[in-house]
Amino acid sequence: MSDQTATAPATRSALLPLAPWVLSALLLLVLPFIFTANSAITIMNQMAITIIFALAYNMLLGQGGMLSFGHAVYAGVGGFACVHIMNMDDFFATIPLPVLPIFGGLMGMGLAMIVGSFSTRKAGTVFAMISLGVGELIAACSVIIVVFFGGEEGISGDRTYGLPTFGVEFLQQIEVYYLIALWLMISAILMYLYSRTPLGRMANAVRDNPERAEFLGYSARWVRFYSFVASGFFAGIAGALFAINYEILTEENLNTTQSGIILLVTFLGGVGFFFGPIIGAIVFTLVQTVLSLQTELWGFYLGLIFVATVMFFPGGLAGLIMMHVPALRLGKLGRLGVPYLKTLGAGAVMALGGAALIEMIFHVRHASSGDHEMVLFWIAFDSHSILPWVIASLAAAVGYFIVRRTAPDLMEAWNDANTPDGGAS
Amino acid sequence: MTAALELNALTKSFGKTEIIRGVDLSIPKGERHAIIGPNGAGKSTLFNLITGRFPQTGGSIALHGADLAGKAPFEINRMGLSRSFQITNIFPKMTVFENVRCSLLWSMGYRYNFWSMVSRSPALTTGADAILEQINLTARRDLPAGVLSYAEQRALEIGITIAGGADVIMLDEPTAGMSHSETDYIVELIRTVTVGKTLIMVEHDMGVVFGLADRISVLVYGEIIATGTPEAVRADPRVQEAYLGAALEDH
Repeated sequence: MSDQTATAPATRSALLPLAPWVLSALLLLVLPFIFTANSAITIMNQMAITIIFALAYNMLLGQGGMLSFGHAVYAGVGGFACVHIMNMDDFFATIPLPVLPIFGGLMGMGLAMIVGSFSTRKAGTVFAMISLGVGELIAACSVIIVVFFGGEEGISGDRTYGLPTFGVEFLQQIEVYYLIALWLMISAILMYLYSRTPLGRMANAVRDNPERAEFLGYSARWVRFYSFVASGFFAGIAGALFAINYEILTEENLNTTQSGIILLVTFLGGVGFFFGPIIGAIVFTLVQTVLSLQTELWGFYLGLIFVATVMFFPGGLAGLIMMHVPALRLGKLGRLGVPYLKTLGAGAVMALGGAALIEMIFHVRHASSGDHEMVLFWIAFDSHSILPWVIASLAAAVGYFIVRRTAPDLMEAWNDANTPDGGAS
Repeated sequence: MTAALELNALTKSFGKTEIIRGVDLSIPKGERHAIIGPNGAGKSTLFNLITGRFPQTGGSIALHGADLAGKAPFEINRMGLSRSFQITNIFPKMTVFENVRCSLLWSMGYRYNFWSMVSRSPALTTGADAILEQINLTARRDLPAGVLSYAEQRALEIGITIAGGADVIMLDEPTAGMSHSETDYIVELIRTVTVGKTLIMVEHDMGVVFGLADRISVLVYGEIIATGTPEAVRADPRVQEAYLGAALEDH
């Protein structure tokens, strides 16, 4: 599951490409035994759904070069359709719950066929604007077509009324977890294989150079259309799994905020690599769930991480990881250890000091008057006394100073690690 | 026998400006035909009309007897015409091998296939490798095409252009911006890969034109003022007056 530009030599063992998939499947199997808490299962469910959605989104953005600002619509509509099926008592009683996501996928795909028929004629800004407009339009429909979208309170269903699957009725979170994990594996494998088909390859070609692709016999527009429809299908699967997991869908599943989040997740993870969106979804979900328990300002930190990633690592987190492959190939990755420890350690001190300052400012400005006690990093203190401010400022300043001092060494170590031994360049 | 490419009273205007002012040209199968002319004569516009990049204003274009009016580039390509561009036009982020393999997909019948793996097809792999061998880029197989040297990128583009098996090949200034040795190399390459095919090329380098072309057409201000063998064109007084004399004196 590496980048499309890094073609492995054909002579390598045929089993090697399977390794990441087998490992992922095993990991998904054992994760609930490591993180047994209910809250952990909830987080993992959300993570898996976001991964599928982000991978589907990357079929457009990374593989096809189409920037969509309204992709939540396809997931949302797939989810709404599934809740409606849950509420069709007689019909729902005849289908096992694990089959339900197919209906969500088909719904997302159907909508994508309609919208794609006119939105994929052009890529670039035209496509982005149409996606934004259509996204807004369908989100606005949620309060207009109340019978389908349920108005402001949305619609809810009960997943347990489906046909029991081998006696499982999906009353427990853990049962839902394995259902979602199964669909995660199926969807990820199918999406990966899709990128290896003639159409998937031509999606890359059209992304790079639509005009040249036309002179190879392919209509750029139809290649985009098929990518769009395939992406809509997998987005619909993600929406269906959302419906199964939460049993409620509202306008929030369709709106531009949701579309913006999936763009952020995908870009954060890295659009250039197949596994990029997976990393993005994991990091995002952790920030959103774990960090949001610690601080109200989690969105602020997420924004900082995102902007820093876009500015310094346009390849996203996956690009950051893959940057180290040349050094690894040269067997010189170890030389980066100590310089990394120095700079990143200091960077962590700086970040924590800065975060402490931000949190204290927030507390002083927004806590109820007279409430001077705050807890930060498990330490209770008075936010109006001078000492915590001094400590936080000092940590930030010293951290910054050390980062500046050690950064040149890190650059040197980096260059050294990426240069073959004995080579002139 | 129908001509590979037949232009009849072809015209093209942009607004009130007439760029192509009635071109008649018939190129038989298997001929290597060069179109020359001073800058701004409309050579690239003529290319773009033939390949469906622009719609023509009047007249007709026929490929193997079939009218091309209103056809999109991808449809014209499927009818057996392939082109390269004046500005290098490849897929820079994909590997060299991937570039060539993509150009084989349609002609090998894969169309919009999303159920078979490209890496599982020995025909695709050997076909792409054979093209790479032909254009001498086997050593560069797994590099991103964007990092190749200029001459290598031009060679790759010729590879992409011929890979689909089209029998009419159009090359727009294939040696533009190249050194002498690079030019010799590309000319040899063009000669070998277009054996048995119809070649139509726009070219500025007179050495290339006279060495490669069976016949030459001279385009001046949107009209063809002479068509014939290199010797005949060279001897034509109108050509000498309009263009060639000045160019030959320069060289």
